[in-house]
Amino acid sequence: MAEEIVLDMSPMYEGERVRKEEIWVEMGGPKANGFELVVSAEMDEVDDGKVTVKGPDLSEIEEGSTIPFGLIYKVAGELIETDLEAIIERRDHELLSYVHGLMHLNQRDTIWMRASKDLKKAGATSFENIMTGVMKLFKAELPFIEKMEVTVLTTQEAVTEGLEQAHVIYNTRDERAKGLHDDEVDVFYGCTLCQSFAPTSACCVTPDRPSLCGAISWFDGRAAAKVDPEGPQFPIPKEGLIDEITGEYESINKMVEERSGGEYNRMAMYTFFEAPHTSCGCFETIGFYLPEVDGIGIVDRDFTSPTPNGLPFSTMAGQAGGGKQVIGFLGMGILYYFSSKFIQADGGWRRIVWMPEHLKERVKEGIDEDMLNKIATEADATDINALKKFLLNVDHPVVDGVTRPVDDKQITEGWTLEDPSEFEAEVIAYIEESGGDLDVDVIKEKLLMSEGQFMQVVEYLQDEGILE
Amino acid sequence: MGKVEGSFTVEDMKNVQINIGAVVKEEDEWDQPMGPFPNPSIATLRDWDFKLTDRYRIYYNPICDRCTLCTYGPCDLTGNKRGACGITQEAHQGKIVLLAVLIGCCAHCAHGRHLYHWVLEKYGDMPFDMGPQILVDAPLTRTICGIKPKTIKDFGPVLSYIEEEVAQLLACCHTGQEASYKDFDSKALHAGMLDSLGKEVSDMIQIIAYDMPRGDPDAPLVEIGMGTLDQSKAIFITYGHNVAGAAESIFYAEDNNLWDQVDIGGVCCTAIDNTRIGEGLGHPTIKKNIGTKSKVAGAMGWWRKMVRAGVMDCVMVDEQCVYCDVLEECSAIKVPVIASNEKILLGLVDRTNDPADEIVDDLVNYRVPGVIVLDPIKAGEVGIRTAIAVKPKRTEAQANIFLTEEEFKKHVESCTQCNTCAFVCPPHIRIARAMEEAAEGNLEPFSSTYEICVGCRRCEQVCPQDIPILKCYAYANQEYIKNQKFKMRAGRGPVLDTEIRIVGAPLCLGTIPGIIALVGCANYPNGTKECYDIAREFARRGYIVVTTGCMAMDMSLYTDEEGRTIWEEFPGAFDGGNVCNIGSCVSNAHAHGAGIKVATIYAGRNERANYDDIADYVLNKVGVCGIAWGAMSQKAASIATGFNRLGVPVVVEPHGVMYRRAYLGRTDVKEDWELIDARDGSKVYCEPAPEHLLYVAETKEEAMLMLAKLCIRPSDNSSGRMIKLTHYCDINMKYFGQMPPDWPIYVRSAGDLPLVYKEKMMKELEEKYGWKIDWKRKKILEGPIRPAEVAFDPTNIERKIRVRK
Repeated sequence: MAEEIVLDMSPMYEGERVRKEEIWVEMGGPKANGFELVVSAEMDEVDDGKVTVKGPDLSEIEEGSTIPFGLIYKVAGELIETDLEAIIERRDHELLSYVHGLMHLNQRDTIWMRASKDLKKAGATSFENIMTGVMKLFKAELPFIEKMEVTVLTTQEAVTEGLEQAHVIYNTRDERAKGLHDDEVDVFYGCTLCQSFAPTSACCVTPDRPSLCGAISWFDGRAAAKVDPEGPQFPIPKEGLIDEITGEYESINKMVEERSGGEYNRMAMYTFFEAPHTSCGCFETIGFYLPEVDGIGIVDRDFTSPTPNGLPFSTMAGQAGGGKQVIGFLGMGILYYFSSKFIQADGGWRRIVWMPEHLKERVKEGIDEDMLNKIATEADATDINALKKFLLNVDHPVVDGVTRPVDDKQITEGWTLEDPSEFEAEVIAYIEESGGDLDVDVIKEKLLMSEGQFMQVVEYLQDEGILE
Repeated sequence: MGKVEGSFTVEDMKNVQINIGAVVKEEDEWDQPMGPFPNPSIATLRDWDFKLTDRYRIYYNPICDRCTLCTYGPCDLTGNKRGACGITQEAHQGKIVLLAVLIGCCAHCAHGRHLYHWVLEKYGDMPFDMGPQILVDAPLTRTICGIKPKTIKDFGPVLSYIEEEVAQLLACCHTGQEASYKDFDSKALHAGMLDSLGKEVSDMIQIIAYDMPRGDPDAPLVEIGMGTLDQSKAIFITYGHNVAGAAESIFYAEDNNLWDQVDIGGVCCTAIDNTRIGEGLGHPTIKKNIGTKSKVAGAMGWWRKMVRAGVMDCVMVDEQCVYCDVLEECSAIKVPVIASNEKILLGLVDRTNDPADEIVDDLVNYRVPGVIVLDPIKAGEVGIRTAIAVKPKRTEAQANIFLTEEEFKKHVESCTQCNTCAFVCPPHIRIARAMEEAAEGNLEPFSSTYEICVGCRRCEQVCPQDIPILKCYAYANQEYIKNQKFKMRAGRGPVLDTEIRIVGAPLCLGTIPGIIALVGCANYPNGTKECYDIAREFARRGYIVVTTGCMAMDMSLYTDEEGRTIWEEFPGAFDGGNVCNIGSCVSNAHAHGAGIKVATIYAGRNERANYDDIADYVLNKVGVCGIAWGAMSQKAASIATGFNRLGVPVVVEPHGVMYRRAYLGRTDVKEDWELIDARDGSKVYCEPAPEHLLYVAETKEEAMLMLAKLCIRPSDNSSGRMIKLTHYCDINMKYFGQMPPDWPIYVRSAGDLPLVYKEKMMKELEEKYGWKIDWKRKKILEGPIRPAEVAFDPTNIERKIRVRK
């Protein structure tokens, strides 16, 4: 057992960098294997507070060297379940960073740690000195951890073996997270964390609809609700289904009414238009309806130029933010773009017409493959006219009407003209010019019309007897 | 929703760019309804002021307890005596505080008024455009006046409003007017608010007219320090706060290709504003980034040291914070002075209407020690030409700037160690000891106290041996002066709306524990180094650190282990772990603006003519705290008071007691901390957060502790409170080696407890304070003043109650 010493631990050391010349020991990183793993276990399988070092301990390692490194935490507690492992593991970065003189970067099998010479000066001789304190932090932050122990691996052999185990678990977890849908759970989580600033904001977090701020997934909500069921994240039983497609539930409506102080009484999960989700003040992106093309654009905070509707992120965010429910604007988290229920009531990706290039690149994996080339970016269109031209050229579904994939129902009619007579002269001119040899591409290009819109004018002209 | 309305009109609009947003903006001026209090007068927001001063009680510290304002006097007001007019001691102190705040307010507002006239004369009216990332573009103007300016001219009525209010407030100081100290203080708060508005107008006008950055986190790094002024060129110093004349000197040097002959340095806020010119969205006549060609000589506290370091050939003063002996000091070293603003005329002759050639000739040949030139363009030209022409004539004076070794030796040896100097020195430097050591050849005490010296010259005035102490300092620090070369980030201007949106959630979650605003000058003991230390401590803790004016300049004079200035060490965004230089003194308004923007952008509050509502939001929800560490002026009094009315607490250093008034909370009086829950109107006793509104700290360490504490707000959620308490406890542990004694009053649930101390704290709560703990669930069952509830919507304002119980 290593001598007990008190290390300086504080959140102010998060972000502390240990420079090359200050390295005592470097763990993992680009030059060596490394990983961190949290696994749940039964109460009697965990020896609370125990630190086991497999391989050379800190004081036995040559100063300045880089070693393979693994951390396997075993946790137990009445409320602990496999789903919480990833949540606990994600705290590892922050809590290890509390230790003055210890740098921790990245996560899972990419961790990169450095212990500085300052840590040596502070009297640390063993990983036990560090991990004892860090495990206390874990238990302080997540009181559902009743017992915790850790195994520190410092030989290549042990790390290789540990990594194999870790990869199996990471993969299982990822599959579970990806495969977990709203239909498979019986509880959602509400979050009012930002009510201290935006008092009518009431978030509902589901597996298919992560929070707008990007900070809370369904798993996070679940963990937080276990820590403190009366806290800002709380369970919402999935009850009283009103509309499967828009994702409206009685229980969510009730939650919104209560938590928004009566400001709103309906909130649907997968739609843009009727009783959409409230938009807090810190959503990562905002969607905006473009009536001219009957489609939806998306823009994130990093894109500061005006979007095709002439408004930059900030203006639209200003209109929708602060905990409001504004039809036509919707705050959304980046992760929602990877969801299979992404605005499914409105046609999902088939309804999206524009987004900034860097955002499109970032969420590429989530976009329906057949839509990838049909969504314009600032490189294609910066105003409505250019956007129209682009959408006509790529045969975007909004042009001729969107059929939503979720139930194959056609939900929009496509572009139509309210008064075809206004375009009489122009269409006649074109027909004369082309000598009756009509070319759809030319119509799109020159007249900025869909084939349907063109035919509307032609029919009108026929009705009027102008054309035969 | 399926129908496409409007898609058919394309043809009609062939030559029009479809830009729905812009059209909407054009048509609809401002969809926000007018709030209850446009252009509030003295009594309008009195209820809000009383809410503040009922909780944050007014403590006066009379510097003088006699009233000598009218011929009844002098009246002794001690021991509950009243003056001949019937005034009480408290009311008299309140009156003096009001006067000080009014002086400060007038300085900023009159600055704006001057710029307003000048800019309209020079450039005509210009659109008020803060760029695509700022929509809440003049937050104080919107909140106080209820208008949304579209051009520079729209600020005219705002200035008129301030001027009317100032006249009304000043009238209240006449004998036989206001009698209540609480009303005097409400009036001071009103003047403080007007001050913030005047600053906003001033800075907005200059941002537009001189194309300064519209909230650029990457504003350029500019040169700062006496050593950056190239002594092979003529050196023209622009000194004060109003950039009008200084800007013209920069344009003149540029237009006439004179940069190889002249260096332009600035002192005090003019320095900062010089370096901001041409870094904005573009301008019809101003060249891009031209401001970066000028240099910052230093903050106001360095002025007399600069004079003795001989780093100038010609000086132009404009307004505010200019030493009154500027003419005498400059004359003594043959440096001509140009007074360029009516506020400082120095008894000189007004030569505004004379040809520039004649003025330059008179100055260069020392026929006059200085001139008045009120036309900024002519003043700029005269300044540059004089500096260049006078430089060769100053060779002799320049050669005698520093004492010779013999002279220095003679002076330091003549010191009798009477220590009279140390008693009058504001930072109490042991000057005699420095003399004694220097006599023995050790200059270290002179070097190590050089920065601490504020250059007030009191020591020289009392020295029975007539030792030129400042000259001795200059002699001993010649190397430092030469090497005083650092970088400063040019003032970036307002906080972007997008930045507010990014920090909204972290501020609320507590991962950004608060906003620390370092404002004013750093003119008292170690103020320069200490403002650097404070900024760095909080930036490293992940707070948002904002600074302006002389503080920004002074904190540039240090580097970290890697040789980086604070601007190179930390990025310049309005974000956690960043240090942003917002700009000059008048740019302080953007710190108020940031608070307002959190309420409007993040929480969707209407700001229009809705001052008390926004202030209430800031007081209860936005963890922001100001600090003035060594401020000396009445402007600092008005700046702090303006912050206070907006619900922002301020910490000042010990000399701040001379502002005569503190606003202190009483944690022992439970009733003072009753808040309304806006959800249903119920009354809730809360923890005292923030505890004080205006607090005098004795040391840097105490100030940091108080700053951390005063970022605590009733609406903190648990993670926010946990982080804030962590820093509060951490700073106490770091600098005082113990936990702060009052930490338990900020605990509402176990989730509020700092992780590192959690277990120990829970034990202490149980054993020492008798709280009930459920150890199995690690929950607090009984003990806190109130339970933690995230949806609690604290307010002090009755009309904010949504549904009454």
